[in-house]
Amino acid sequence: MAKAKKKATKRASSRRVVDPVVTEIVRNGVIAVTEEMKTNLMRTAYNIIIYEALDFTTGLFTPEGETVSIGIGLPMFIRGMAETVKAKIAHFGRDNIKPGDIYVTNDAYITGSHLNHMTFTLPIFHKGKLAGFSCCMGHWLDIGGPIGGMTTDIFSEGLQVPIVKYQDRGVINQTLVDIIRQNVRIPSRAMGDLRAQITAVKTGERRYLQLLERYGADAVRDAIRAIMDRAEVSARTRTKTIPDGIYEAESFMDDDGLEVGKRVPIRVRVTVKGEEMTVDLSDVSRQVRGFYNSGITTGYACAQVAYKCLTSPTDYPINDGSFRSLKVIVPPGRVVSATRPAPMRWWMTYPMTIVDTIFKAMTAAIPDRVIAGHHADLLAPTFHGVNPRRSEFFIGSFGPLGGGWGAKHNEDGVSGTVCINDGDTHNSPNEQAEAKFPIVVERFALVENSGGAGRHRGGLGIVRDVRARSPITVNTQIDRAHCRPWGLDDGLDGSGNKVELRIGGQWKTDFPNAKVLVAHLKEGDAFRIQSGGGGGYGAPLERPAEEVAEDVRQGYVGIADARELYRVVVDPVTFAVDAEATAKLRA
Amino acid sequence: MKRPKTATNANLRLAADIGGTFTDIAVFDERTGKLTFGKALSTPEHLVEGISAGVEKAGSDYRSAGLFLHGSTIAINTILERTGARTALVITEGFRDVYEIGRINRPDAYNLFFRKHVPLVERALRFEAHERVLADGEIDKPLDEDEIAALGRKLDSLGVEATAILFLNCYANPEHEARARAVLERNHPGMFISASHELSQEYREFERCSTVVANAYIGPKVRRYIGEIDAHIRSAGFHGSFLIVQSTGGLYESEQAQSQCVRMLESGPAAGVIGTQALCRTLKLDNAIAFDMGGTTAKAGVIYKGEALTTGQALIGGYDKALPVQIAMMDIFEVGTGGGSIARIEDGALRVGPQSAGAAPGPACYGLGGAEPTVTDANLVLGRLGADRFLGGEMALDVDAATRALKTRIADPFTMSVTAAADGILRIAVTAMSYAVKGVTTERGLDAGDFALVAYGGAGPLHAVQVAREIGIRKVIIPGAPGVFSAFGMLFSDLRYDYVRTWYTRLDDAGFDDMEAVYTALEDQGRQAIASTSVTPSRIVIKRAADMRYVGQEHAVTVDLPMSVFTRQDRKAIKRHFDEMHLLRYGTSAPDERAEIVSLRSTVTGLMRKPPQETIARGPKTPTKNAFTGRRKVYFAEDGKAGKFIDTPTWRRADLRAGNRITGPALVEEHASTTVLLPEDVMTMDAYGNLVIAVGGGR
Repeated sequence: MAKAKKKATKRASSRRVVDPVVTEIVRNGVIAVTEEMKTNLMRTAYNIIIYEALDFTTGLFTPEGETVSIGIGLPMFIRGMAETVKAKIAHFGRDNIKPGDIYVTNDAYITGSHLNHMTFTLPIFHKGKLAGFSCCMGHWLDIGGPIGGMTTDIFSEGLQVPIVKYQDRGVINQTLVDIIRQNVRIPSRAMGDLRAQITAVKTGERRYLQLLERYGADAVRDAIRAIMDRAEVSARTRTKTIPDGIYEAESFMDDDGLEVGKRVPIRVRVTVKGEEMTVDLSDVSRQVRGFYNSGITTGYACAQVAYKCLTSPTDYPINDGSFRSLKVIVPPGRVVSATRPAPMRWWMTYPMTIVDTIFKAMTAAIPDRVIAGHHADLLAPTFHGVNPRRSEFFIGSFGPLGGGWGAKHNEDGVSGTVCINDGDTHNSPNEQAEAKFPIVVERFALVENSGGAGRHRGGLGIVRDVRARSPITVNTQIDRAHCRPWGLDDGLDGSGNKVELRIGGQWKTDFPNAKVLVAHLKEGDAFRIQSGGGGGYGAPLERPAEEVAEDVRQGYVGIADARELYRVVVDPVTFAVDAEATAKLRA
Repeated sequence: MKRPKTATNANLRLAADIGGTFTDIAVFDERTGKLTFGKALSTPEHLVEGISAGVEKAGSDYRSAGLFLHGSTIAINTILERTGARTALVITEGFRDVYEIGRINRPDAYNLFFRKHVPLVERALRFEAHERVLADGEIDKPLDEDEIAALGRKLDSLGVEATAILFLNCYANPEHEARARAVLERNHPGMFISASHELSQEYREFERCSTVVANAYIGPKVRRYIGEIDAHIRSAGFHGSFLIVQSTGGLYESEQAQSQCVRMLESGPAAGVIGTQALCRTLKLDNAIAFDMGGTTAKAGVIYKGEALTTGQALIGGYDKALPVQIAMMDIFEVGTGGGSIARIEDGALRVGPQSAGAAPGPACYGLGGAEPTVTDANLVLGRLGADRFLGGEMALDVDAATRALKTRIADPFTMSVTAAADGILRIAVTAMSYAVKGVTTERGLDAGDFALVAYGGAGPLHAVQVAREIGIRKVIIPGAPGVFSAFGMLFSDLRYDYVRTWYTRLDDAGFDDMEAVYTALEDQGRQAIASTSVTPSRIVIKRAADMRYVGQEHAVTVDLPMSVFTRQDRKAIKRHFDEMHLLRYGTSAPDERAEIVSLRSTVTGLMRKPPQETIARGPKTPTKNAFTGRRKVYFAEDGKAGKFIDTPTWRRADLRAGNRITGPALVEEHASTTVLLPEDVMTMDAYGNLVIAVGGGR
C-alpha cells in the first residue's frame, strides 16, 4: 500500500489538464455503468441475500485493477474486489488475459471475506487492447459446509474455488460448474445466482465499451484519471482540516464463540499528519479460533470505510483516488488479516466494531464529525427445517435486523437501521417470510429505552420474536451483547444485542453470549433477536427537559429512565415536565 | 355512491392540469373536433380560480361541457410539504413500529449524518390492536370490536382527523380490517378512515402501511379540495361528469377520488404519457418514450407495443428518505435536470443540477436576481432561445446577465470560453437525461434505440434531438402545444381500476378455478366501480397479469397474460409467457425450472370515446414565407470538435402547414417552447401538426 501511494501522489501532482465537460460526462457514465450492473444482478439473483439484503458489489476497474467505480452496495467490499482483480491479474499474468475470459474465485484470503462471496471478473477489451475489468461479488446462500454450529478452519466451511477460469476465450468451464453443483445444497439456486453475476459483468462490459466508443479510449482514460486525482485532492484537503496528532482507542468483542466470555481486544491507532492519515491495526487482536476472522483486504477496508466517512462521505463514484492519502498498517495474523487456515465464515462481524473504534479514536480530534457506537452486528440469524406444506427443505432468513445508531454532537442517533458495513441493504418483509416459511412473527418493534442516554440520545434497537409453526433449527452468531455500543463525551452506552428462546412456553434469557449456534425449536416455541441501541453523545443532564418529555410521550424513553438517567420528571398522563421536581433532581 | 348517469347534449370536454406554476386547460369540442388550449398562473390559495381563468383563456365555459377531467399536484404536494391531516395508525399488535423501521437500508452509506424517512404519523399516534391473521388467512387471534371502539374514542379525544388501518396479512383475509373500519366509521362519521386492503392487497407490510397512511394523511384535504371544485364548477353551470386522473393515467369518478386519494398522486405526469400513447395510436407507432422536461426535472415514461408501462410501486421523495406507495402507477423515471438546473463547480468538477433556480429567482437571464448560471442561460447564450421570443415575447431575457453568470462562475475558473462552458453544460445535462431515459428501457430489457422520442414540457423540444442522439433514437416527435401536453393527454384517458392480490402458490399447484375466483372477485369490483360512475363507457376491457418468479427467486416480474390461457386452462402457456418475460427483461430464462405465482393483477378499463385528432391544412414542401421569422446565430458542435455559430433560420410553428419540411440547423418557435434542429436533422410537419424529426436525416 505504501509504495502504491507514493506513485499515486506523483501522478496527482503532474496531472494534465483534461476537459471538465467530458470528465463530468464520464463520471456520470461510470456511475451509470455500475448501477446498471447492480440493477441487473439484483433483479436476476435467486437468493434473498443478494436480492433483498443486497449483499453484493459491482465494479469497474482499470487495467491495473484500481477501482474506477463501485456500485453503492456494501461498504465492506470497498477494497476486496480491487484486490481480487489484482490477484487475478497477477495469477494469470497480464499477457495471458484474453477476450472472452471470465475469472472466478471465492478464495477467502484473497477476497478477505468468506467462501460465500463468489467473485467474477471479466476483462474488457477495446480494439484488441485491455481497457479494464468489470467485476461482481455476490453472496451465495450456500457453499457447502455445515449450516449451523461453529467452524474452526477454512476446510470445514465449504467449497474453495481458487482463481480459475469460469470461461476461457468464450468457452465455459463445465468441469468447474459440475464441481460446484456437486458441492452446494441447492444447485439450481446457486446456478441462478451464477447466471445473475455473469449477466452483471457482461452488462458492465457492454456499457463501458459504449462509453469508450462514444468518447474515445484516451479521453475516457484521461477523464478517469482526472476523477481519481480530484478525489485524492478532496480527501487530502479534508484530512488537512483534522488536527495533527496520534489518536488511539480500544474496544472489545464479546468472544470468538469458542472461548465463551473471553473478550477480544480491538485497539486502533490513528496518526494524522498534514494531509495524510495512517491507520495502524497492529494491536487489533490476533486471529481467533472461532469463525470471526477475515483477510487482510478487510483490514484495509475497515480503514477505508472509516476514512471515507470522515473525509469524503458523499463523493461518487467510489474510487481509489480517495484513498491515496490513507496509509494502513496491518501485520499478518491479526483478526482482520488472518492467514490460512483460519476460519472466516462470520468475517463481517468484527470489522464493524473496528470502524466504530476508529471513529471513537478520532473523537478527540474532530468531535463534530464522529458518531457514538452503534449495534455493530448484522443480527441475521438463519433458520432451517422442512416446510410441512411441501415437505421440502428450506433455509430461511429475514436479512439483517438493523439496530440503533450512535448520537452525534448535534443530533440524536437514528433508530432501526442497518449496520455500518452494509449500506443499501434491505430487510425482508415479515409478510413475505410468513408466506414462505412455517413461522409467525409475533413482534417486530423498536425497543424502548435501548438508546444510550445523552444530550443527544442514541437510536433505538429492534426486537423480532418469531414463533415456529413446525420444527425449525435456529442459528445465531451475534456479538456485542456484553460490549455495548458506547457513548461519547459523557453520553451513556446503548443496550447490547441479545438472543432469547421460548421453549415450551418459558423464555430462556440467560445465555452467556448471543451465539446460539444450534437451537432446535418445536411448534409453538419461539426465538427472539434484539439489536442494541446506539450510544448517547453528551451528558444526559444536559438534554433539555422538554426533549426528554417528548421522548416519553412518543415512547422512546420510559418514564422511569427519564427520571433516573435524565433526572427529568414527566407527568404520565399529560407528558408535561414537572419543572419544580426536575429542577430539584437536576440541581 | 351511485352517481346519476349524465345524459347531456353538452359537447365540450374540459381537461384541467394544475401544476406548481401553471394551470393548463385543454378543451375538445366533440361537435367540431376542435382543440383549444389555455394557460393561466396557478393560484395556490384558490386553485379553483386558476382553473376558471384557464377555461376563460381557452374561450370556453362550464355550461356547455359534458366532461370535466382533472389532474392536480395537490395530493403529492400535501405529502412533500407535510401539510396533511392529524393522522393516526391502527396496526396489528407487535407491529407499531413497522412504519418507522421501514426497510432499514442506508443508501447514503458513508454519511454518518444520514437521515431516514420521516413517518407521516408520529409514534404517539400509532396504536396496536389485539388481532392476528396468518399468511394463509387463518385467524390466529380474533378482533375485539370493543377494543376498536374504545380506541376510536381515544383517537377522537386526541383530535385525530384521519385514521389508517393496517393489519398483517390482510391480503389473505381482509375481514379484520373491514370490521375495524366499520366500527370506526360508524362511531366517527367525521373522521377520514382508510383500510389498507382497499388500496393494496399485496404483501409487504411496510409498503402497504406507508400507502394507507399516505391516503389517510392527504384524505381530508383532497376530499375538501375536490368538493370545492365540484361545487364551484356546478355553480358555474356545469352539469356533466367530473373525473379525476390517477397515477396510472386512468380516470376515476371524483367521488371515488375523495376516498382513494393516494391514487391521484402523479396525475399530471401520467397524463403526459397517456397523451403520448394517444399520439402513438394516431401515428401507428408501437414504441415510444415520453420525454417531459420542465424547469426542475426531466421525466421519462415508456409506450411499449402501444401500451403505457405501469408499475406496482413507487417512491415518493428522494430515494434515501422516500415513502413508498404500493399501488399501480405509470412507470416514470425522473432525473433532477431541467431548464432551471444550476451549473456549479464543486471540488473542481463541473456539476449540473440537481439544484434548481426554480421560478424565483429563476435563471440568471430572467433578471430576477438569479446569479448562478442554469441550463436555460446556456441555451440563451448559444442562441437556441431568442431573447425576445420567450413566452411569445411576453418576457424579455437578459443575455448579458446569462453571459456574466456563465463567465464568472464557470468559464473563467476553468479558463474556457463562455460558449464552451454553455455548450458543456448542455452536454452534461443531455447525457444525464439520456442515462435516465435509457434507465427506463434497459430496466425492462428493451433497447431504447427502437423507440421514438416524444418530447414535451417547456424544455423538452429544446433538448430532444440531442438526447435522441445520445441514446441512438432516430425519430423525434414534438406534439402540438408541448407546453400543455398533460392537459391534452387527459382528453384521451379511459376509466381505469387496478387491482392486485397476493396469492402465493406454485404454478404447478395453482388451480384454475381458484385463480378464476380471485380474478373474478377483483374484476367484479372493477365493474361495480365503473357502474357507479356517472359516465357510460363504450366498452369494458379486462386485462390480467400475474407476478411470477422461479421457485427460490425473490424478485417477481409482472407477466401479462391473455384471457385465452385462462379459458383454455393452459398452464404451460402461463409458464411460457413468464419465461419469455424473464428473458426479455433479464436476458436469461430457465424454461426447465418451476415457477411460482406471487400475486394476481387485474385491470378493468372502461373505454371512453376518444377525440379524433384534428388535422391541419396542407402546405407545400417548403414552408411559406410568413412562417419564416428571421435568422440568428446559433452554436452547434459535433462531439470532440470545436463548434461554431451558424446563421440559423427561425420559423413560427403556428404558420407551418402539413407537409412543410425544414432541414437543420433551424429553430421552430412557439409560445412556450422552441424546437432545436441540429445540422442534418430533417423535420416534417405531419397532418396533425406534429413536428416529426428524422434525427441526422434518418440515417
